[in-house]
Amino acid sequence: MAGSRIEVRVQCFGPARRLAGDEWLSVQLGEPATVADALAALAQRGDDFAALLKQCAVALGDEIVRRTYPLKAGDEIALLPPVAGG
Amino acid sequence: MIQMHDINQPRIQDTPLSLDALLTGSERDDCGALAVFAGTVRNHHEGKPVAHLVYTAHAALADKMIRGIEQEIAAKHGVPVCRVVHRIGALAIGESAILAVVRAPHRAEAFAALRAVVDAVKHRVPIWKEEFYTDGSSAFVTGCCIAEDAAQPHEDDAGHDHRHHDHGHQHA
Repeated sequence: MAGSRIEVRVQCFGPARRLAGDEWLSVQLGEPATVADALAALAQRGDDFAALLKQCAVALGDEIVRRTYPLKAGDEIALLPPVAGG
Repeated sequence: MIQMHDINQPRIQDTPLSLDALLTGSERDDCGALAVFAGTVRNHHEGKPVAHLVYTAHAALADKMIRGIEQEIAAKHGVPVCRVVHRIGALAIGESAILAVVRAPHRAEAFAALRAVVDAVKHRVPIWKEEFYTDGSSAFVTGCCIAEDAAQPHEDDAGHDHRHHDHGHQHA
C-alpha cells in the first residue's frame, strides 16, 4: 500500500559497530523496501559510515542477501564489514 | 566426506582452543598424513607493538560458513578429514586464534587442503580482528569484502579467490 512504512532493525558488527556507536540501529523505510533502501537510509548517518556500507555484506538470519533482497516489517539485518579472521 | 564425530561441535568458540579436542575421534587408518595449523596472536603489526587482540564474529553465520568451507575444501582436495575452529573474545599474545587440521592419505594433499581451508576461513567468514596497541590505541585490521554485489568491492573484485597483499596475514 502506497505510503506505508516499515521498521527494520540493523545489527552492526566489527568496525560498523564502532562507527555506529551502537550494536543496534533501526531505519524506517517506505514500502516496498529492499536491502539497498536500508543501506541508503543508513548512509545518512555520515560519510564515514556511508563509505563503510559500500563494503558491507548484509545478512538476514544466517544467510547473506543481495542488495535487491526485499525487506518486510520486523526484519533484522546484519551489517558485515570486510572480514579479517585468523 | 567430513567425519560425523565433529558435526555438532561449534566452529566459533569463546574459550581457549584445544588441538586434542579437535583431533579426538578423527583418526583414520587410510590416512598417512596429519597436517595442523595454528594461527597465534603476534605481538606486532605493521611496526606497532600489539598488547592483545579482540575477535568478534557473526557466530551463527560464521559457524555455518566454516562448516561449508570444510566440506568444499575436503571435496576439492579429496581429503577425508578437514576441520577448523576459530576463537572469539579477548586473546593474549601467543594464544591460538585459529586451529585447522587435515588428514589425508598423503602429505601433498594434506598441506594443500590445510592452506586452502585456512585462507578461505580468513577471507570469507564474518570474523573481525581488533588490535589493541601498547600505546592504548586500537584499530580493526583491514579485511576482505564478502559482499558479492557491494558497490565498491574491496581492492580487486569481491567474490573470487583473493590474493592479499596488505592485510597483515603473515603470521605463522
